[in-house]
Amino acid sequence: MRTKLEACLHAVNQVLLGKEPQVRLALACLLARGHLLIEDLPGMGKTTLSHALARVLGLSFQRIQFTSDLLPGDILGTSVFDRETGQFIFHPGPIFAELVLADEINRATPKSQSALLEAMEEGQVTIEGATRPLPEPFFVIATQNPVSQGGTFALPESQLDRFLMRLSLGYPARAAEKALLLGDARRSLLPRLQAILDHAELALIQAEVPKVRASDALVDYVLRLVDATRSQPQFAWGLSPRASLALLAAARAWAFLDGREYVIPEDVQAVLPAVVGHRLRERADPAGHGGGALVQWLLREVPAL
Amino acid sequence: MSQALGIPRISLTWLLVAQALVIVPHLGHLPPWIIGLWLGCAAWRIQIFRMRAGYPNGWVKAGLLLGTAGGVFLSRGSLVGLDAGVVLLIAAFILKLLEMRSRRDALVLIFLGFFAVLTAYLFDDGILAALFSLLPVTALLAALIGLQQSAFALQPWSTARLAAGLLAQALPLMLLLFILFPRLEPLWSLPLPKDRAVSGLSDSMAPADIAELSRSAALAFRASFEGQTPPRSELYWRALTLDHFDGRRWSQSSFARGAQSAAWEQRGQPLHYSIVMQPSAQRWLFALDVGQTTLAQARQMSDFRLQRALPVESALFYRVTSWPQALREPTAIGAGPGSALQLPSEGDPRSRAWAAELKRDYPQAERLVQALLGHFNRQPYGYTLRPPAVGPNSIDDFLFETRKGFCAHYAGAMTFVLRAAGIPARVVAGYQGGEYNPSGDYVQVRQFDAHAWVEYWQAGSGWVSVDPTFQVAPQRIEQGLEAAVAEEQSFLEGSPFSPLRYRQLGWLNQLRLGWDNLNYGWQRWVLGYQGAQQLQLLQRWFGRIDGQWLGLSLVGGGGSLVGLLALWLFKPWRRERDALQRSFNRFERLLARHAVRREVGEGPRAYAERAARALPAQAQAIRTFAAAYEAQRYAGHGASPALLRQHLATLRRALPWRFTRAAGE
Repeated sequence: MRTKLEACLHAVNQVLLGKEPQVRLALACLLARGHLLIEDLPGMGKTTLSHALARVLGLSFQRIQFTSDLLPGDILGTSVFDRETGQFIFHPGPIFAELVLADEINRATPKSQSALLEAMEEGQVTIEGATRPLPEPFFVIATQNPVSQGGTFALPESQLDRFLMRLSLGYPARAAEKALLLGDARRSLLPRLQAILDHAELALIQAEVPKVRASDALVDYVLRLVDATRSQPQFAWGLSPRASLALLAAARAWAFLDGREYVIPEDVQAVLPAVVGHRLRERADPAGHGGGALVQWLLREVPAL
Repeated sequence: MSQALGIPRISLTWLLVAQALVIVPHLGHLPPWIIGLWLGCAAWRIQIFRMRAGYPNGWVKAGLLLGTAGGVFLSRGSLVGLDAGVVLLIAAFILKLLEMRSRRDALVLIFLGFFAVLTAYLFDDGILAALFSLLPVTALLAALIGLQQSAFALQPWSTARLAAGLLAQALPLMLLLFILFPRLEPLWSLPLPKDRAVSGLSDSMAPADIAELSRSAALAFRASFEGQTPPRSELYWRALTLDHFDGRRWSQSSFARGAQSAAWEQRGQPLHYSIVMQPSAQRWLFALDVGQTTLAQARQMSDFRLQRALPVESALFYRVTSWPQALREPTAIGAGPGSALQLPSEGDPRSRAWAAELKRDYPQAERLVQALLGHFNRQPYGYTLRPPAVGPNSIDDFLFETRKGFCAHYAGAMTFVLRAAGIPARVVAGYQGGEYNPSGDYVQVRQFDAHAWVEYWQAGSGWVSVDPTFQVAPQRIEQGLEAAVAEEQSFLEGSPFSPLRYRQLGWLNQLRLGWDNLNYGWQRWVLGYQGAQQLQLLQRWFGRIDGQWLGLSLVGGGGSLVGLLALWLFKPWRRERDALQRSFNRFERLLARHAVRREVGEGPRAYAERAARALPAQAQAIRTFAAAYEAQRYAGHGASPALLRQHLATLRRALPWRFTRAAGE
């Protein structure tokens, strides 16, 4: 099973060059049944990453381009009157896919954003009184331009919390970019990617991840981290229990990807920036963008043992 | 956090506050331009912080330094000496602001500040000054914390709170050191600062000197009696005798200055009391007749005064036992009879003639003295602090023309007449009376209690004290100066706001006496807690002790204090009970000796990998241990401390032996 996961990572890395850590985190996020927020400038490979993940994991893929005039119905689907049968027939929206890429989520109005975010949280959507389950597995990758750009609606903290991880891809390294320029167009590589896992295997792995052992000593470390965010003066607010659960789940997935059946502090540290970075704010700048410096502080100052 | 080398805002703020607080107690004796310098430098430093101004360059700094040094020289006449030194220190403390670029500079400034706080005690060691100095110390500590603790950088009050907490925690240590630390005699002594030079008796007396003193409400000393305090009229505090007259002034003869030990016999009941004396810059002490003190380096001199080897430059505590009825030099005057009969060769002819007349009428000395006292009593002599001017024959003018004066006039005139009549006599200068403070059961004697009286000598009865002033103004002796000059209202006329003038207001008087009592306690138990008193207290607590015992107990006490602190810091009862963790701690200490220290946030695997890279020869052993630890601690393979210890021993053998930490730590 793990060799297959390694193969998945390898395949995605062939398409998205030089981004091994981010790809690994994205896969860990998916294995932990979490949703992923990618924050970056346009053209950094966000779509490629989501698409490649969907391909290798054998998931159906839908992409929703968020714009300011997008309506909730455009995401969830609408009922259309069929003249032949004389009935309303439900046309499912793009949300009914196993991997949904919500591109530039902050361009849409808060109303449309919340339609997506509710679906993410509930695993089902309610349209015109009928509750319809979303497919299983269901994985959302939302992308967002850094908020300093005009005409956008930044996601509020409560909704950021719904994402297990937030990643930033960043510019590729020089060598990777050179390979990119010399090689084929990335998008043309995508169709060549084969599904490596099927649904049953993915479900099996997702069921295995929570069984990864988190010892007392490790949970204590997680608690120390969380306590530090609640007690130290530089944090505007502390992490919620949902965040500590998310941290442990992500660390388990990371350990699983690493081929271990137990979690060690290094696993927690590996996922910490992605899991808590978007949930923390500095007291000096509570409306600010992120807690990167705070996460570094946690990694440096909280005793690992 | 971001400014690795700069000075954080909080620290700068506290530094400026602290600087103001440090300078405030010095204000009284600093030249005023220092304040201007301070305001200017502080404003400049703030502008630097706001990036509106730059640091001064070398020329500007050199100019400021030279200008300041010149200013100090102009206003103090010197660059050395205590007074100029303190001004120079404060000026440097201020100028350093402009040079404060890095944390190191700020540290220098803070330590300078602590030193400047200390120098303020040289000028005022009262209870208020001591309490006030807690403020600058707290502010300096806050600045120090603000400098070190970047996590506090946003909260000015939390640094101040922490500083106050630290100060409070230091209290027990301070008390312990205060009680136990041996008071060493100073290796050198500095002359007192100028404005500490106090008014008081001097070794020569013209009437105007005493009049000067009577205008001062400054404290001379306080005395506490064991048992009943004697009535006011018996409190004649001797300071010194004046036995040389030059026609205008009475002064101390060179013989009396140096000679020691006169013969005397103890008679009657002794009085036991202790005195806390204000600094007088003179060597004599105050005591009732005939006093003996236990104070080291103090002796009884030929005229029964007590004198110390060094001038009294700071508050002094001593105990005295006095025999008021003692017989003094009953057989012969130690200095020879001529010393008590000296008179100028000419002048005051009427007085001399009158003395000869008296001598004829009253051949016996005692009768003559009684007649003289009766003369002062019956004739229209008056007591005033505003005596009319007298001519060159001052005694004649006083006795026969003006007939108005105060103690110095009467004592001087009487001694003159006695000497002219062939009776050995001299003027005694000191203090008379004092205000009884019922809340503290002690007598406080102020400068306006300064007094002069007469003693004459007769074979058989020795020296006998008489007070002509009592004949003229008995209320001066029985109730004090205020009552004696009540009519002319000249009591403390130069200081209308002195609380002593409002003694008739009950609550104000209570307040004044209570405050004085507090100050007296401070002087006796805090400032006066020196050598002998310390030893006495410790002996009362611990039985017989000496310097060696004190030293040993100090070392022992310090050792046990450090031990307690160590216990509190390391908390051995909270020692890692977890055997796994203990093994890992040993692993860490072992590697730390080889310059691989674990960061706080570093996980065991990352640490082991780093160590393995740093010590490639032992990489295998390191990895084995780390893997075993990880398996036991995180994978739930069951704790087996023995296995860990085994791996650790393997690693220890693989590593070269080292006791201390490697260089580069």
